[in-house]
Amino acid sequence: MENTKATGVPARFNVGDRVRVKELPNLFYTRTQMFVRGVSGTIAERTYEDLIPEDDAWNRDSAQPEQFYIVRFRQKDLWEDYPFEGDTLQSEFPDRWLEPISD
Amino acid sequence: MPSRNDLQQYYETEAQLAPTIHQHQDWPYEISHRRFQAYMAPPHDVGGEADAPVRYEEKEEELWELNTYVTCEVLGWRGIWNAEERRRRGNNDLGLSLYYGFPYYGRWIWAAARMLVDKNHISLTELLEKVAEVRARHGKH
Repeated sequence: MENTKATGVPARFNVGDRVRVKELPNLFYTRTQMFVRGVSGTIAERTYEDLIPEDDAWNRDSAQPEQFYIVRFRQKDLWEDYPFEGDTLQSEFPDRWLEPISD
Repeated sequence: MPSRNDLQQYYETEAQLAPTIHQHQDWPYEISHRRFQAYMAPPHDVGGEADAPVRYEEKEEELWELNTYVTCEVLGWRGIWNAEERRRRGNNDLGLSLYYGFPYYGRWIWAAARMLVDKNHISLTELLEKVAEVRARHGKH
């Protein structure tokens, strides 16, 4: 369905920012993979603004849309035994699943 | 009435679908947190799970699969549900055994039927009568 809502939650991050994926528990539904939770990465792209999956999945159409980002992780940060130094993996998250870090 | 043999086969097949952790589970008094986390895992979050190599196959969609896709999209256009997250959540609500055990579009059509009943667009008995009618039309009992 077309998203007709006005601008939602202010976007907190820009390309190049370091972020950590929040460690929230699983209940019922999510699009945030377990293997990225608590792991730090870098914002690779600001994509679009939309309802977060946890609201969209229950038709909470009056919820505030949020900015989504593509975050780039080092494979070695995700999998201890990963053999190649330079490989990365990207996944996408709404604003609230990320927290800022400074390092 | 199904034959008693059919009924027995139904129960035996159903019993084989219990989660394959090979420990008897019958609503225990307590479970570990690790077990709880595993139970709460959304079935579609398969990244990171151990698996054997899978043969890559090119397979064209069958008519029922295309019809399922179109049905789910049309339900979205009509505002009956949102076709992505709502449908995807419905797929996850199948639970692990059915999520893995169903064909890809089998999950979709199950989720669509469940949603139509949940939202009172059709009643469960209407759906059952219709399924029985269609099966009879095709000569299945």
